[in-house]
Amino acid sequence: MMKNSRLANIGFQLAALVLALLFTTLILVATGAPPLEAYKNIILGSVSSLDKISNVLVTWVPLLLASAGLLITFSAGLWNIGMEGQITLGAIGTTWALRLMQDSSLPPALVIVLSILAGMVMGALWASLAGALKTFGGVNEIFGGLGLNFVATALTLWLIFGPWKRPGVGSMSGTEPFPEALWLPMFPDSRLSPWALVLAVVAIVIVYFMLQGTYFGLRLKAVGKNFRAAYMLGIPTWQYMMISFMLCGALAGAAGAVQVTAVYHRLIPSISSGYGYLGLLVAMLVNYQAAWAAPVALFFAALNIGSIQLPIILKLDSSLSGVLQGMLVLFVLMVEGVRQRLMRRS
Amino acid sequence: MISELFSVTVLIGILASGIRLATPYLYAAIGETFGQKSGVLNLGVEGQMLLGSFVAFYVALTTGNLWLGLLAAMLVGAIMGLAMAYVTVNLHAQQGISGIGFYLFGLGMSELLFQRFMGTVETVKGFPKLYFPGLSDIPGIGEIFFNQNILVYGAYLLVPLAWFVLNKTTLGLKIRAVGENPDAADSLGVSVARIRYFTIILGGTLSGIAGASLSIALLNVFQQGMTSGLGFIAVALVYFGAWRPVGVLGGALLFSLVNSLQLWIQVLGIPIPSDIAVMMPYVLTILVLVATVSRVRAPSALTKPFERGD
Repeated sequence: MMKNSRLANIGFQLAALVLALLFTTLILVATGAPPLEAYKNIILGSVSSLDKISNVLVTWVPLLLASAGLLITFSAGLWNIGMEGQITLGAIGTTWALRLMQDSSLPPALVIVLSILAGMVMGALWASLAGALKTFGGVNEIFGGLGLNFVATALTLWLIFGPWKRPGVGSMSGTEPFPEALWLPMFPDSRLSPWALVLAVVAIVIVYFMLQGTYFGLRLKAVGKNFRAAYMLGIPTWQYMMISFMLCGALAGAAGAVQVTAVYHRLIPSISSGYGYLGLLVAMLVNYQAAWAAPVALFFAALNIGSIQLPIILKLDSSLSGVLQGMLVLFVLMVEGVRQRLMRRS
Repeated sequence: MISELFSVTVLIGILASGIRLATPYLYAAIGETFGQKSGVLNLGVEGQMLLGSFVAFYVALTTGNLWLGLLAAMLVGAIMGLAMAYVTVNLHAQQGISGIGFYLFGLGMSELLFQRFMGTVETVKGFPKLYFPGLSDIPGIGEIFFNQNILVYGAYLLVPLAWFVLNKTTLGLKIRAVGENPDAADSLGVSVARIRYFTIILGGTLSGIAGASLSIALLNVFQQGMTSGLGFIAVALVYFGAWRPVGVLGGALLFSLVNSLQLWIQVLGIPIPSDIAVMMPYVLTILVLVATVSRVRAPSALTKPFERGD
């Protein structure tokens, strides 16, 4: 029985995927673009060479970290829309720590580790702001988070053009790059760091076991499922909500830290690159099951990288992946709605 | 330099552009107020605005008719509203995430259409400023209030209209009932589904106008992602305004005046880091949200799908 419904679940998600693809194809046909060529280019653009695969993995790391964090807040029934800002603050925290320590005599490995930790702390603190607004200010986390995202973006711009500007004049290209000694070690000829990969995989595994197998995870889910009942049962509900915000923020901060230490080696204006919103999508698509987060995040990473490679003649650019993502969310929701209806009837 | 900010010309400039900048917020946030009053949170406003903004611009550019552009934007917004209503009302989908879905779709779709059909940024001649004989020539006042385009006036007229519909009509009573206690409304023979369809489609239509007001009345250009978070701010303004049209008006004005102030600070080159200035409206919004939201109550059924009990 259990197995059947799990199989049916996968079937429904697949149906949603097929429908989203169909609908996107329709849009392509309607606007006069060749769909098959577009899809072929996306697939080839993401897997046709080692270089491209490594680019997909570079995207996969922050996305998986973000998704892992969001699984925690989702379990507590929270909509952490402030994820983008938390990633950004993580990047700022890491950049700050690197700037403080880059001229010190500390061994580079220690500096990198401390800087990543600083990013995680900053992410957690920024998330706790959204949490505090929610628990003490009564501001819905969706609105608090959105507002804090804007503030985070503006803060980044201010740092890049103000106190942290490049010698001479600040520019949109970001702060002065850090010396190579302070980069996370990479695979040769790529932007992919094995350490970043390890960090992301460890994070999702920890979140998986925390949610599936611990008392903490169980109580967190109780808070998410029925806040009042959890409170009556003596679960310290608001503390649990704050903790889930901070854990999520720490993982968001780690994603930002990876962007600084392994990918860009400096702070750039749009350092969060939409991974926060995409992470929300992943967490929702996997139906809050941590085990599926890794493959689904990989799919979206490939989609993103592949669609950047769309040739200019097709006049599509990366907007196609946006349409497909939006369609996916909507069809997953619709298919879920239909499934609930069928279940009620049977 | 700071003293320049307080010269009469600059003050008039700040007020005039503040009044003008509130336009898209007003359309979008009043539309969202209707949705939320009936218990539906539409987070897809940004996507509806973007698509409306593109369609209005493209139609106006190709046909040369601004009103056709506006109509097309309203239609596109209404269609997205219809889709949103089906997903949230019939299929009981979570409203927050379906809104994000519509946001992503609108963002991607407007970019895709822009790439396919335009490719380069162009400009149109937008709705002209209206001239009121006598009134427009009053020094100061004329510049601020009687020298705007028609969509700006439409936005301000919408506020008393929305107040009247929500508070003084049977339809408004039904909308509020559905948002506060859908079971009771249902038992009295009010169709919860029909009311919610109406408010969500109305919200979509108004979001379409909000987008159009940017591309063919205020900025007169379409760029990818040009709403830059404006739709999300509009959703926040509904909370800010405590679900009352007049409150929304206050929020929109406060927000756009501060925004206009920071634009002028940049124009005048006053030595406040411009990005601190950019942050001002957002920080202010958060502070006021904290100050106000805890004392007002959201519609009880907000974000809750309605299902008739046995």
